[in-house]
Amino acid sequence: MTRVAALSIVVAFAVFVLVWKAIVVVSGLPPFILPAPETVAIRFVGAWRDGTIEPHLATTLVEVGLGFAVGVALALIAGYGLARSVWVERLLSPYLVAAQAIPILALAPLLVWWFGNGLLSKVVIAALIVFFPVAVATMVGIRSVDARLLELGRSLRATRRQVLLTLEIPAALPNILGGMRVGVTLAVVGALVGEWAGANQGLGVLINLARGSLFDIPLMFATLVTIALVGIVLYLMVVILERRLVGNR
Amino acid sequence: MSLTGHGPGAVRLRDLSFAFVARGGGSLPVLDGVDLAIPGGGIVALVGPNGCGKSTLLRVIAGLLEPARGEALLDGAPIDGPDPRIGLVFQEPRLLPWRSAADNITYPLELAGWPAARRRERLAALSDRVDLDPAVTTSRPAELSGGTRQRVALARALALEPEVLLLDEPFSALDALTRERFDLELLRLWHRAATTIVIVTHSIPEAVLIADRVVVLSARPARIVADIAIDLARPRTIEALDDPAAGRASRRIRAFLEDDDGEPTEHRTTAASVRTELAS
Ligand SMILES: Nc1ncnc2c1ncn2[C@@H]1O[C@H](COP(=O)(O)OP(=O)(O)OP(=O)(O)O)[C@@H](O)[C@H]1O
Ligand SMILES: [Mg+2]
Repeated sequence: MTRVAALSIVVAFAVFVLVWKAIVVVSGLPPFILPAPETVAIRFVGAWRDGTIEPHLATTLVEVGLGFAVGVALALIAGYGLARSVWVERLLSPYLVAAQAIPILALAPLLVWWFGNGLLSKVVIAALIVFFPVAVATMVGIRSVDARLLELGRSLRATRRQVLLTLEIPAALPNILGGMRVGVTLAVVGALVGEWAGANQGLGVLINLARGSLFDIPLMFATLVTIALVGIVLYLMVVILERRLVGNR
Repeated sequence: MSLTGHGPGAVRLRDLSFAFVARGGGSLPVLDGVDLAIPGGGIVALVGPNGCGKSTLLRVIAGLLEPARGEALLDGAPIDGPDPRIGLVFQEPRLLPWRSAADNITYPLELAGWPAARRRERLAALSDRVDLDPAVTTSRPAELSGGTRQRVALARALALEPEVLLLDEPFSALDALTRERFDLELLRLWHRAATTIVIVTHSIPEAVLIADRVVVLSARPARIVADIAIDLARPRTIEALDDPAAGRASRRIRAFLEDDDGEPTEHRTTAASVRTELAS
């Protein structure tokens, strides 16, 4: 990252905190509605020190990681099928679109009912929400492979497998990674929605606890900050992966 | 010095016809009874108007398209699919943009299952043969000049030591001087490797400079309207084009090409034969 880019991030963050502080001061809202940034910062550090956040974070990360991996794996296979087979597309696309049209919020309680309160239901929900953008990106990517390169492969007697590995996947990679960028943040959403619908542990559960039985609004904000950080870090990981794989084309 | 008639790489096209399925289901005839015998090690240039079917003809020889009628033979056996004995250079370099120049050159070897060490060895020999600057082998195609890209494409086509090299307007994107240099390099390469070469070109001087014979094709569907021998000694230099024989050949080729411009077939054939006689 360039120095300018790093600096602009710092400036943007400083502006955000200052505006937040200004709203607190000017509006005079009580801390249980909108705590001041320094209150949240202190609570954030405290909650990390006393181990309030950590187990919840660990649970959510496992859900996100597994859900993302499963969702991406299935999406790659389906996306390839959609791109390369008219029949797969005809049979699958109505269900894909229908599944995408039902909000995950409406589906989550059912999935928790089916798959239980634990890890499995969150993985299913996260995978489901990751699936669509990655599958569509894969389909578009595979379809975008230059037909002239495929002809080159044919003239060199490339096998089906060689075409996949040396032509289709490399050509589709920028698209696939673009889909994964969207997918990874959605995986966080999916895990949290799943936790809301029923769970014993996780950042979504902690938010509910902070609002309810603990009545610790600064903790709720500290959890929100944690969730945002998780999203940012995961997103950056995909961006770094993207740089490594397709950066210097 | 002519190597024609000896060694492998003899291509025989026997009454070759081909048609694409046109939009809306009709058929679009592209090749119509093309009959041609190219001895092993010979160089034939194909010229003809835009869209007449030159690239299609190369694709049939390369085993990428199956003729509707007739057959294409390599060393007496029918060509029934892509064959490692046939190397193909497309009109555009067609390099894999995500691979370095070196990995593009060795791509055919990779697909053929060569181990990395042997590929590296072969890469050195190939770069040498097409005069590729070793400094650029790690660059991606996007970072290379048009000429260098075409060198890479040529090296790739030579990777599996083909007997026949099919070149589809290989140098048409290059500036005039670079193009001449490439033509002469191609000839040097041919003197060393003695592959059969079939080159499609729109440039009459290029055809005359390179080929043993220039085959003129009609507008679509392509038929052979003339097969003109180029009697210039080899090895040839660019001065070969100043030879009166080169001038005569160029004029004949031009006459056949102009002649073919949309005139009815019968009239054309008559006019063509008259000119043939006048010219020779
Ligand atoms: N895949 C295809 N499907 C249908 N028609 C095609 C296809 N490829 C080429 N054609 C048509 O076949 C004809 C011959 O095409 P071809 O590319 O062989 O011509 P060409 O002589 O190489 O032309 P140019 O000099 O412009 O390169 C053209 O009219 C073209 O539009
Ligand atoms: Mg062409």
